[in-house]
Amino acid sequence: MVLLTLILVLAATVLSIPLVERFMGRNTGWFAAAVLTALTVLVAAQAPQVLGSGEALTYSVPWMPQIGVEFHLRMDTLGWMFTLLVTGVGALIMAYSARYFPAGRRLGFYFLMTLFAFAMTGLVLADDVVLLFVFWELTTIASFYLIGLSGPTASRPAIRTFLVTAMGGLALLGAVVLLVVRTGTTQLSAILADQTWTQDTGFVSLVAVLVVVAVFTKSAQFPFHYWLPDAMAASTPVSAYLHAAAMVKAGIYLAMRFTPAFGDVLVWNAALIAFGLTTAVIGAVFALQQHDLKRLAAYSTVSQLGFLVAVIGVGTPEALVAAAAHTVAHALFKSALFMTVGLVDHEAGTRDLRDLGGLAKKMPVTAGIATLAALSMAGIPPLLGFVSKEYLFAGLLGTPGGPWVGVLAGAVAVGAAAFTFAYSFRFVHGAFFGEPRGERKADQEGTHEAPVTFWGPAALAALGGVLLGLAVPVLDPLVNGVAQDTTDTAADAHLLLWHGFNPELAMSALAIGFGALLVWRTASGESYAGRPLLPVDGPSVFERLHGATIRAGRRVGDLTRTDAIAFHLGAPIVLVLVLAAPVVYFGLDLPAPAGQTSRPLDWLLVGLMAVAVLGAVLTRSRLAALALIGVAGFTTALWLFFLGAFDVALTQLLVEVLTVVVAVLVLRRLPRTFHTVTRRRSALTAVIAIATGLVAGAAAFALTGRRELSPAAEYFLNNAPEDTGGDNVVNTILVDYRALDTLGELVVLGVAGLIIISVLGSTNLLPVNKGRKVTVPVANPAFESAPNTVLMRTVAKFLLPLLVVWSFYLLARGHNEPGGGFIGGLVGGSAFALTYLAASSDASARIRLAYPAIIGSGILVAIGSGLLGFFEGSFLLPLHAEIPLPGGDYYHFTTALIFDVGVYLAVVGVLLAALNELGLDNGGGAAVSAPPSPAASGGDRGGATAPAGTAGATAVEVDTTTSGGAR
Amino acid sequence: MTLAVTIAIMVAGGVYLMLQRGMVRIVLGLLLVGHAANLLLMSAGGIFRRDQPLLGINPPDWAADPLPQAFVLTAIVIAFSIVIYMLTLAASGSDDDTEDAS
Repeated sequence: MVLLTLILVLAATVLSIPLVERFMGRNTGWFAAAVLTALTVLVAAQAPQVLGSGEALTYSVPWMPQIGVEFHLRMDTLGWMFTLLVTGVGALIMAYSARYFPAGRRLGFYFLMTLFAFAMTGLVLADDVVLLFVFWELTTIASFYLIGLSGPTASRPAIRTFLVTAMGGLALLGAVVLLVVRTGTTQLSAILADQTWTQDTGFVSLVAVLVVVAVFTKSAQFPFHYWLPDAMAASTPVSAYLHAAAMVKAGIYLAMRFTPAFGDVLVWNAALIAFGLTTAVIGAVFALQQHDLKRLAAYSTVSQLGFLVAVIGVGTPEALVAAAAHTVAHALFKSALFMTVGLVDHEAGTRDLRDLGGLAKKMPVTAGIATLAALSMAGIPPLLGFVSKEYLFAGLLGTPGGPWVGVLAGAVAVGAAAFTFAYSFRFVHGAFFGEPRGERKADQEGTHEAPVTFWGPAALAALGGVLLGLAVPVLDPLVNGVAQDTTDTAADAHLLLWHGFNPELAMSALAIGFGALLVWRTASGESYAGRPLLPVDGPSVFERLHGATIRAGRRVGDLTRTDAIAFHLGAPIVLVLVLAAPVVYFGLDLPAPAGQTSRPLDWLLVGLMAVAVLGAVLTRSRLAALALIGVAGFTTALWLFFLGAFDVALTQLLVEVLTVVVAVLVLRRLPRTFHTVTRRRSALTAVIAIATGLVAGAAAFALTGRRELSPAAEYFLNNAPEDTGGDNVVNTILVDYRALDTLGELVVLGVAGLIIISVLGSTNLLPVNKGRKVTVPVANPAFESAPNTVLMRTVAKFLLPLLVVWSFYLLARGHNEPGGGFIGGLVGGSAFALTYLAASSDASARIRLAYPAIIGSGILVAIGSGLLGFFEGSFLLPLHAEIPLPGGDYYHFTTALIFDVGVYLAVVGVLLAALNELGLDNGGGAAVSAPPSPAASGGDRGGATAPAGTAGATAVEVDTTTSGGAR
Repeated sequence: MTLAVTIAIMVAGGVYLMLQRGMVRIVLGLLLVGHAANLLLMSAGGIFRRDQPLLGINPPDWAADPLPQAFVLTAIVIAFSIVIYMLTLAASGSDDDTEDAS
């Protein structure tokens, strides 16, 4: 319950910040500090249970039960320690922020800082790897915004930080996925207790490397260390929190949390120790070089984190004791140190060491705080930092792999500690002692001590280091508990200020001695400050890599950046060929065909198709190609008929007719012949085409027709009449079984109709090709369009009502016999096509029905009939009723018929749209626009051009014969 | 075998047309490939049974698989709507050429 309270209170605080901040402005810091203090007390009160009896607190509630992810919280000693740091240090920094900022609104800052506290608390308490990952990413996101808050100059640092830490997040995600897949659970404690995967050397090494990447990016280890100084663009309270208790400590936490699983994994030990010590040394060396106090503190954090990572990598109980103690010590002295940087910056107006010095006289309290914190950092007795550093040395001496390895690690650590001493001295001496320096010397006249409300939090953190140093045994239960949690071995450490003459004491003395020497020889770092030690710096390497990645991506994208449609169409076709090649090469083991798939008469269709396709490919006349493709379409319809698909064949036939009608309307606006292409291109496309054809044919032969009827087909054939009351199984599938598919298709059809209307509403159609005149003498009856079309019009007059009635009949009987909404709609649509073709002028050809409304009503009717299905339980479920007829018979009525009416309406509407929009010279303008001006249509006729419609088509046909013959 | 040969012819012709320049040829190629795909669907249902699945006339014993038929019927109508849309694009703007003259 405590854990839930913790999380909920933090979440509520985050959410209440916008309201509180409206009234309190910068003083919201007091509010947040009060909440965090209360939570700190709450957490501390759990010590008797967590530390005393060693029992973890747990809380669990299902979160995503489908995949077994729970909102599982667990607070063992390790979690307790980090929670206390997050809330305790958080409280100090919130209180500090209230005076750090000038009076005014600070909504973004407080919102993100409390969000950060929430995310960190969730992270260290999460006992579910998915939850852990979510909180991990939340800290990344919160830090990105916090750094970015500082204005435009901070935007690149924020992005760099985000990309580096997000990369670590991806590595963590990889580890999480591997672990969940392998162990079958998402519960962190169960995964860590599971021995099966930790015995698999390859697997555990892979996961360990992923976790190492996550740790290194988050905790700023070499070579990712540069983001931390880079992130100094953020305001000082943000830096203080990021460095002392949050963000970078998330990596430390993760490393400690996974120690039970990886403690004996070689790659884990090696990576953590080697990179940790490297980071400790370079961080310390760089820190000594800085002029800017804040950057000095940042590099110091890098160095301290290196110590922590290295000692965690050792993995012995003693090492983890040292890691726990040093985590606490570092949180205290680093938060105090950053807060003093803020105090100096605030009061003296600069944090550049070249402009500071002698501030102790003006700001004695701040100087005292800084001195205490720096002493702890330098490892001077009797402060906590001294004790923890002693144990760090002891832990590193125990490095596995032989005694000389331990000695080497210890020696490197002593070197880094010497630099630590030197930069700690530089920090305090440079800022607070000696004579005032630099151009800003004059400014110091007005510098005075900050108010107690401002330095108070920093003083508390620094005093914490002193008190815990003097009373260091109080930490025993904590560090032993952490060692127990992370190594499963009871560590019986007794932290003491003085524990006799031993190697660690000698190392401490050496470190301080070398440090003092370093201070003396380099004038406390001044002689090396600002000198570049390496030819490159992190951010510029990052920017170069980043730029190169973007350029590489652009170059890959360039491959497809072309307007040539042939390229886009060709790429997938060639890919299919590439995929088919190995299959062709290796061959397949195929079952025998399930029956006789060929019949003699089929060869007729093969021949017909070959002629049609060959002609369509070879001709250069658009119209001839269209006609030949039409022949291919009719042959397809015949094929369908041969295969027992009468409904489909009928649909194919009608669609083919209407396609040709619509295509002719378009073709008369285009040149008569196709574009010429180079011979090479024709040859290449021919090769691709023939290869694709062979592959498609082989696939059709090899992969189909080799099994019996599918179970679904079996079911439909045996049950359709009972289920639906219809004998036409295909139609029952369309409107009963799979009506949702049909509805989707209907919408596609309707949308296509509407798109045509809107495309032509925004662009103009090409004009009808005037070059294609048919010259006939004036005396010829065909000269005037009205007499010319009289025959068609007469036929149409009688045929039209018949077609409409027939289409209704087809619609109505569809459920039992060939027909249905599609076929009915297509027949109805051809009735309109006929009147259209027979019209003698544009004006009379114009269809004045509101076809967008017809399309829409079709879809609405279909959906409406589907909604009726809810009366019996589900969408599109057809309802049935027996309607008595006179004579004792019954008519079987089903709402599937209403659905089919919707289909019918949509099909008719789309056909009308196509005819009207594409057929008329200036487009139809959505059916109800003004009739065309007499002048326009008169102009057409005056030029003896065939009017739109029949005569146009006739004229085109005349052309075809001649040009087709020429070919 | 016969159906496979038909499909091979149609796909070869369709792909050849689709890789040409003008929009109209691309549309015609698409039509051919679309027909071929429909026939492939029919073939997948098994074409040794060729009786119409009209249970008022035929017993279900030798009726063709109705499921691909329903799919193909749907596919024909969708292909039609795409084709008329592409034809609209071909006839609007300047020309149906899809590439820069070169």
